[in-house]
Amino acid sequence: MNPLRDSALIETRRHFFGRAATGIGAAALGSLLGAELPGATSGAAANGASMGGLAGLPHFAPRAKRIIYLFMSGAPSQLDMWDYKPKMQDWFDKDLPDSVRNGQRITTMTSGQKRFPIAPSIFKFARHGQHGAWVSELLPHTAGVVDDLAVIKTVNTEAINHDPAITYIQTGSQLPGRPSTGAWLSYGLGSLNRNLPAFVVLHSTVNGGFGGQALYARLWGAGFLSTRHQGVSLRSTGDPVLYLSNPDGMSAKMRRRMLDELDRLNRERYAEVGDPEIQSRIAQYEMAYRMQTSVPELTDISNETERTLEMYGPEVKKPGTFAANCLLARRLAERGVRFTQVFIRQWDQHGNLPKDIRRQCGIIDQPCAALINDLKQRGMLDDTLVVWGGEFGRTIYCQGGLTKTNYGRDHHPRCFTKWLAGGGVKPGMVYGETDDFSYNVQENPVHIHDLNATLLHCLGVNHEQLTFRYQGRDFRLTDVHGQVVNDILA
Amino acid sequence: MTVSAAVGLFALPPDVCAERPLDFSRDILPLLSENCFQCHGPDEANREAGLRLDDRGGATTKLDSGERALVPGDSANSGLYARISSTDPDLRMPPPGSGKKLSDAEVARLKTWIDAGATWSGHWAFEPPRRSPPPSQVSGWHVENPIDLFIQDRLREAGLQPEPAADKPTLIRRATLDLTGLPPTIDEVDDFLADTSPLAYERLVDRLLESQRYGEQMARIWLDAARYADTHGLHLDNERSIWPYRNWVIDAFNRNMPFDQFTVEQLAGDLLPGPTLQQRVATGFNRCNVTTSEGGSIAEEYYVRYAVDRVETTSTVWLGLTAGCAACHDHKFDPLTQKEFYQLFSYFFSLTEKAMDGNALLPPPSVKVPSSLQAARQRTLTGQLAEVEAEIETAISQWKYEDPLAGKPLDPLAKQDRVWFDDALPPGAQPAGDGPDPWKFVTAPDHPVYSGANATVRTGNGLTQHYFTGASEPLIVGANDILFAYVFLDPKDPPETVQLQFNDGSWEHRAFWGADKAHGAGRNNPSNLRLGDLPRVGEWVRLEVPAAAVNLPPGSKLNGWAFTQFKGTVHWDQAGIVTIAPLGPQQAESLAAWEHYRKTVKHPALPADVQKVLDVEADQRTAAQSDQLLRYYLQHVNPASRARFAEPLQRRSRWQQELADLEKAIPATLVMEERQQPRQAHVLERGEYTLKREAVESRVPEWLGELPAEAPANRLGLAQWLTRPDHPLTARVTVNRYWQQFFGTGLVRTAEDFGLQGEQPSHPELLDWLAVEFVESGWNVKRFLKLLVMSSTYRQASRVTPEKLAADPQNRLLARGPRFRLDAEVIRDQALALSGLLVDEIGGKSVRPYQPAGLWKPVGFGGSNTSVFKQDSGAKLYRRSMYTFWKRTSPPPTMTAFDAPDRETCQVRRARTNTPLQALVLMNDVQFIEAARKFAERVMTDGGQDVEQRIKFAFRSVLARVPNRSELDSLKALYEDYRAEFASDPEAAAKLLAAGESPLDKTLDTGELGAWTMVAHLLLNLSETVTRG
Repeated sequence: MNPLRDSALIETRRHFFGRAATGIGAAALGSLLGAELPGATSGAAANGASMGGLAGLPHFAPRAKRIIYLFMSGAPSQLDMWDYKPKMQDWFDKDLPDSVRNGQRITTMTSGQKRFPIAPSIFKFARHGQHGAWVSELLPHTAGVVDDLAVIKTVNTEAINHDPAITYIQTGSQLPGRPSTGAWLSYGLGSLNRNLPAFVVLHSTVNGGFGGQALYARLWGAGFLSTRHQGVSLRSTGDPVLYLSNPDGMSAKMRRRMLDELDRLNRERYAEVGDPEIQSRIAQYEMAYRMQTSVPELTDISNETERTLEMYGPEVKKPGTFAANCLLARRLAERGVRFTQVFIRQWDQHGNLPKDIRRQCGIIDQPCAALINDLKQRGMLDDTLVVWGGEFGRTIYCQGGLTKTNYGRDHHPRCFTKWLAGGGVKPGMVYGETDDFSYNVQENPVHIHDLNATLLHCLGVNHEQLTFRYQGRDFRLTDVHGQVVNDILA
Repeated sequence: MTVSAAVGLFALPPDVCAERPLDFSRDILPLLSENCFQCHGPDEANREAGLRLDDRGGATTKLDSGERALVPGDSANSGLYARISSTDPDLRMPPPGSGKKLSDAEVARLKTWIDAGATWSGHWAFEPPRRSPPPSQVSGWHVENPIDLFIQDRLREAGLQPEPAADKPTLIRRATLDLTGLPPTIDEVDDFLADTSPLAYERLVDRLLESQRYGEQMARIWLDAARYADTHGLHLDNERSIWPYRNWVIDAFNRNMPFDQFTVEQLAGDLLPGPTLQQRVATGFNRCNVTTSEGGSIAEEYYVRYAVDRVETTSTVWLGLTAGCAACHDHKFDPLTQKEFYQLFSYFFSLTEKAMDGNALLPPPSVKVPSSLQAARQRTLTGQLAEVEAEIETAISQWKYEDPLAGKPLDPLAKQDRVWFDDALPPGAQPAGDGPDPWKFVTAPDHPVYSGANATVRTGNGLTQHYFTGASEPLIVGANDILFAYVFLDPKDPPETVQLQFNDGSWEHRAFWGADKAHGAGRNNPSNLRLGDLPRVGEWVRLEVPAAAVNLPPGSKLNGWAFTQFKGTVHWDQAGIVTIAPLGPQQAESLAAWEHYRKTVKHPALPADVQKVLDVEADQRTAAQSDQLLRYYLQHVNPASRARFAEPLQRRSRWQQELADLEKAIPATLVMEERQQPRQAHVLERGEYTLKREAVESRVPEWLGELPAEAPANRLGLAQWLTRPDHPLTARVTVNRYWQQFFGTGLVRTAEDFGLQGEQPSHPELLDWLAVEFVESGWNVKRFLKLLVMSSTYRQASRVTPEKLAADPQNRLLARGPRFRLDAEVIRDQALALSGLLVDEIGGKSVRPYQPAGLWKPVGFGGSNTSVFKQDSGAKLYRRSMYTFWKRTSPPPTMTAFDAPDRETCQVRRARTNTPLQALVLMNDVQFIEAARKFAERVMTDGGQDVEQRIKFAFRSVLARVPNRSELDSLKALYEDYRAEFASDPEAAAKLLAAGESPLDKTLDTGELGAWTMVAHLLLNLSETVTRG
């Protein structure tokens, strides 16, 4: 059978028969995490080999083994953080020339505005790093690691509203129903850890609460892939993984006794009816039992040094903060989790942008830089790809009232900034150029399909060949598009 | 077909496939489709080298190169064969980089076919199904109905033998779970075992098909296809009300509505002549799609997206075709052109719905769906209201009224103080101010009091105040009115400033006396006006503020008032407004006097239409207007007539209120409705809503059969076309889904795709036989399902030998009974049923059972009405899982862990995975722990007295079968261990037994109940329990 048209419906049986020689454990883990490595005892697989995944993958030698994706939901303003436009200072409150907008559609939140007055950024920019990249004063810490980043100023998309845009960048389609990037990687490459899921999602609080543009289960969903590839949310309150703790009154010893008996009865039944699903289920229970230990160990940061904690800033000790999640992302990376996605919301600054972006940058700046430095110190930046950015950018023209100190910006899909760092990416470069208004791409456009193709490439995956047959068609993350951006590869 | 070759059906392992004659549709077309059509198929715009291989004419045409791809009977001169057999990578087809590859056997098969004359036929699924006679019986094998003949014929070919029938406990558990989604009770099992007649099984099946639970089970599966959910799905993901549609589906299955009618009503119930309410409710099927109301969205884009979704869904469910591919270009594999896609799209493009759902519970169009009780009460109240209206009408017309002041000059309106605040705050007002207890009331004689029992006092060291807001009866400002308050300054500790502030929604209305040190200092304008020096100390002084001077024009409504000072000690008392005195009783007897008064003093409760008439000068009014005014006056103002009307008016208002409450309580549901003026559909280039090309009308792809002669050019016509008895797809696709439901896998494994890229049927003749049987029975669903479950194929034992497993791991040939994991909902419902907690009620609004805290918050939009999960309690915790509130952007985790689809798009086939997260749910979810403890109570109460009896009771409740000796011993030992454990740690037992909200049976021993809970918990976790074997 062609593995690319593998069906979720028969997966466990296939694994069982394919790997019967390594015994029951192999069959079971195949269903969530891939086959067990003989000899692997705990945590990350010793030799770096992966479990599960498709035959023939990676397609070529990967530069990165894993991705940490810092997702800025709501769309941060490239104009106030990365895309320096000094000429705009002379354009304060002047109208955006029609020749720049060129009839491009804009959202109905501002399409009714009588004017499109230019709002230059009020933030100071300076050159940083050996290559002299322009970075805004909002990001002093990130500016300090800019030599490790590949900053892309020309990312673009077609979607102009949050729901379709974030669905698009995460799944390659504006409409619900397709697998997310992490699910594709779990499906294609499998896991590097037998005790943890391949794809983990972390949600960050802002000032102790959530809020901001909505997120959707589909953003880490498996679409038409097997549900075992969907992202598992690691929560900062309650059980880190849903239903992880034994109920009150049931000690670990009582649990063990119950599982032993369950195991015995299941085995007896297997002997009777011969259904390999029973063997698989036996092993899933063992795996669940192991997760009851491995997950709390993962989230316990008491063995981190003070120096490390200081690097991430004071918020790092508060579970659920962006700082805490960046540290957790590093710990997940250490344990071989293939794809960790950290979400932080409240970047949707239609009004009061200066005040709100200061708050947001104050939250993310230090932890972002700390994550890069921490990975680097541990020698992990070489094979970890870190991605930063949102679902689109923001307009040069003001939404709502414009003053010298206050303005808002609407959604802008035609160019925005993201940065990549680590595994496989050229450090210390700025890629792509936008026009004076940061409205149109002037050179080296990077469509979000190109970006996703590049992420897969860094993990040794040819984006055109990681496909899944569904409804008669071979689907892929990049639909029928996408070009790897070779210029930014190391 | 006469040629014979070894052909591997790619769904089946080679060794179970016998030698059989080559069949173009089965053996050749899939190879061409898979390997060639991407570039040489129906998609004209992307066709390479001018060659098309999806029809025989194209394949045999001479190409520009002079070659012919296909020369029937002559592979040596066929370009097709030359290219697929070439070793030159530049010539080889499919191209090496394409990811596609023909095996040597497949190349050989194509050669055999060409040399035998390259016979061509259409794709099997696009030809109407034909009933072929069932194969003859294999001697000695048991047959119940023709299904078995088809299945056993293939088994014989493959050298496999069927299994004997499963034992009776297994059979009843299997059939009950399949047909009702619930396990059989011990009594039901005992009845079945006791019925030794040969008809026992058939009687069981008949009973199950008549159970109301049958409709729920069938509806649950249909709702995956309908993408049913309780929220809109996009952006805010607010709640929507469409559960009456779910009720309709349950009811349709329970009433055994024929499938053609089921189809017509859901797709086009609104277009039937004189549609009933229920027929309109049925159209909710195509209002289940996800919708948005995200700020900034462009309506035109979403009209297109919704219509595309409806075409895709309709096409997946009835045609088994992946029409969505043709939204952007001609279909790569199937003959569906892009134009045909937009002709289908046109059927769904002319609805009255708005692109933006408004985040509303009921984005129109919707209909109210009263229960029969509600409808009856509605009729009664409407009748009673008509009666009382008539009574009032008659009385008014008979009332003789003469205005005592008619023609006389009217007295000017007198002004007087209206006190708003004295000893207590006005109704609804919220006291506030500086300090912990800001409103300090004091009494005489120790303190100065101006009027009533008390005054307030405040001492401060700077700017300080007490105030209230939120008065429910606002103080209405009239023309030239004056606001006032009484103040007493302490001679020993005078303030530097006193200030009054008034709130009409904002506090920007202030006046002060003394130094400019209070709120809004430095302005001296209506937002803080200086009205003089400090009043004299040691006596009560009346402070007056002309309302207009602080920017409070007539009609302003005050809800709050602040008493403010800078330093010192200040007493405040009585405050209010100098305004026009109310109408006296004598004046009220005159219509003219009342008019005069009401023209000046507006009354917020006066009906708007009466106010409008009042605003017209008396001599300008029409007779109708004068009459209207008089009627209002008589009913509500004139003391004598008012007394007469009080009782009927009260009655009327009581019934009106009841009717309004009733109507508010009547649920409503989203439906389809056609626009008066149809919206023109166009072919959209690359599916982009902005790139409109050729205009198209509603039409079906007629290569699948013509539209019936009478069919209208709307959704009703589409539905009539789909349910043509000879439609090639509708019946096949439908019976295949039913087969999948009862046998785990469809005869066509890809239940959603019957096109060229779909999988071949494992038993094509059986599929056709079933399709024809279904249509000829009048699309009778229950009759059809009975046929499936009565077959000996269905009844086989499901145990598997290593040999059979190796020969047919997926059990496609059914040499053993089907065996698969239960669906998410069934796993939870089974636990609820065993615990005795399950609620029997059918249908109704969705409920919110247990869910771990904090799942919605991290993803929800702040303004969404589903960003906070509020758990239900009581009976709502124990309803069947199909009634669990389905929030699309964060669906119930116990459901998705067991592969329930997300309900964002149409799904006709669920995955079945086996993961540790599932183990964690069954191990630790409070729902399952609570179920175990309530089940344990039943075991102790109903399961007999000794331990073995109880174990048998528990075991049989879960699995229907009796435990064997080893199982019994094992559970007994487990029970004894836990019993000892809890005896030494009773607190642990108490904690375990606290799981869930249902009350604990306190008459039972805690330690014992704890131990039985653990036994029950183990039983609920058995692999066999979550499997239907």
